[in-house]
Amino acid sequence: MTPAKRWLPFTLKIALLTLLLLWTLVPILWMVLSSFKPNSIITANTPRLLFTPTLEHYATLFSGGNSLWPYLTNSLLIAGTSTLIAVVLGCMAGFGLSRIRIKGKQHLAFWIISTRMAPIAAVIVPLYLLFRYLYLLDTHIGLIVAYLSFNLPFAIWLMTAFFDDLPPDLEEAAMIDGATKFQAFRLVVLPLMTPGLVTTAILCFIFAWNDYAFAQTFSGPGTQTIPIAAAQLLTQTGIDWGKLLAIGTIVVCPMAIAGLLVKRWLVKGLTLGAVK
Amino acid sequence: MATLQLNNIVKDFAGTQVIKGVDLEVKDREFVVFVGPSGCGKSTLLRMIAGLESVSSGDILIDGQRMNEVGPAERGLAMVFQSYALYPHMTVEDNMGFSLRLAGVDKEQRRQKVLEAARILQLENLLERKPKALSGGQRQRVAIGRAIVRNPSIFLFDEPLSNLDAALRVQMRIELARLHEELDATMIYVTHDQIEAMTMADKIVVLQGGIVEQVGSPMELYHHPRNRFVAGFIGSPKMNFIDVEVRDARGEGILVRLPGGGESRIPVDGSGCQAGDIATLGIRPEHLILDDNGPLTGEIVVIERLGGVTSLYVQCFGEEWILVTDGEVSHRVRDSVRFGFAPTRAHLFAEDGLALPHLERHPLVSVERKENRAAIS
Repeated sequence: MTPAKRWLPFTLKIALLTLLLLWTLVPILWMVLSSFKPNSIITANTPRLLFTPTLEHYATLFSGGNSLWPYLTNSLLIAGTSTLIAVVLGCMAGFGLSRIRIKGKQHLAFWIISTRMAPIAAVIVPLYLLFRYLYLLDTHIGLIVAYLSFNLPFAIWLMTAFFDDLPPDLEEAAMIDGATKFQAFRLVVLPLMTPGLVTTAILCFIFAWNDYAFAQTFSGPGTQTIPIAAAQLLTQTGIDWGKLLAIGTIVVCPMAIAGLLVKRWLVKGLTLGAVK
Repeated sequence: MATLQLNNIVKDFAGTQVIKGVDLEVKDREFVVFVGPSGCGKSTLLRMIAGLESVSSGDILIDGQRMNEVGPAERGLAMVFQSYALYPHMTVEDNMGFSLRLAGVDKEQRRQKVLEAARILQLENLLERKPKALSGGQRQRVAIGRAIVRNPSIFLFDEPLSNLDAALRVQMRIELARLHEELDATMIYVTHDQIEAMTMADKIVVLQGGIVEQVGSPMELYHHPRNRFVAGFIGSPKMNFIDVEVRDARGEGILVRLPGGGESRIPVDGSGCQAGDIATLGIRPEHLILDDNGPLTGEIVVIERLGGVTSLYVQCFGEEWILVTDGEVSHRVRDSVRFGFAPTRAHLFAEDGLALPHLERHPLVSVERKENRAAIS
């Protein structure tokens, strides 16, 4: 292969990757950057990269009558609780589904994940009626249940795949070593499931954290989450771009930082079983 | 240490019977090998003994106690898995001491016992490592160490050497045999490799399709296979089989007509046979001799030279025979050769596949493996 022929695919690869990175990162970086710009230059016709940063948008977000704190607390509480329940139940159900020997196991697993396939719009009205009868509207529990209805099948399906990948020999060895079934699960299986648990937790949390449709329909004044706070800034009289970008940053950053922190497990989890 | 008894053990998997009534007795300190082709049920049988599979019917007795409903933890056994099944998140020391930790043994005592097992298996320098930092052979040793630490009544091995390369397999085979001497324990070992079975076992159990074809010492299986399956399974290369006609079944042995017209009197009990019957003659490749006056003749089609010995594949009256001869033979492909055999080394199988019993037992059948080892050392 001539040097030119060797360089061409490499250059092409780099060019494509750069394009992809720009496509993905520029809007986020622009949002983060602009959230520190004074109002006067946010919407300037000539975008400015050099400016004196200000925290005024963040300060106004967390002060005054309509502070972001309650929204943030609601988001953390609802997304966190629904994730925790989805992961705990998904882990146990996934383990059972992976290890049990019954006829039609595949159909059962498919049926569980198929409940996740319906679009959110299709379940909103029935859930709304159900929640109204059960007095779950404008409650934290209502939103947690709503997110669980989507996250739990997903968590079960994902965890089943992770457990399928773990040889049963390990828990059998533990049982021969004297462990009960639960001890084998807790001492041998669970520690090895960290990548799977982290992956499932992050994906479930992202779904609940980012959701707008459920929150808009089922929440009330006391249970509104951050995406609702962001939407409230889009008013008929105008858009408060500074605050909107600051909220956007607050929504995106924790997820991005968490993703980076657990990257090792996330990559391991998402590619588990891909190669032997 | 302990004895094991299997009484008419049956295992059903979703309506399919995979173990079809196995009876077996394992004596204290015996090294028993389950051998058979893939899918014969040997691993299932071992897992049933371990308590990892339920028993559909029949009884498993350890030291005379019925164990059918007893969980794996309470059976007092240890098992070495084919995949080693080491806990990847634990160090070698923690892996080996896991059973003691579960039993509530204090840390110091645990360490003492682990060190003792590590010494036997030369693992002292690896105790702080995680399994992924070990070679295949070292992992195997750790798996065995984990079993030793448990001080079990019976050791179970499920094809423990099949993931190792050939050289390491030979080394581990010898180490396992030595370990058996040192621990003086009852061991049950599953393998599909008949060489492992022949070299390590006090007693071999040959399984096929969920039934026991024969139980006996390695030499008994080699010299007195009960049926054609065992005769073909034990020994490498495989025994040559050829259909022959019985000419005379009266008197000492059976006179059979060989391909090409020759005749040979095989010293087996012919009480159930009569002239005109078709039987199968079985002769091991190493028992065929190149002989210019031999009754059989054929053309060499393939030669495999292994140095010490040479395998000749000979086309003889429409059948392919394998002869294992001296490594020095200078024959070439397409050479014509004559060969024969000592009738005492030949086997004869009736139409139902059962072997006709030899009139005399082979002298080595009664020599036990331990005597062999004593003779070597």
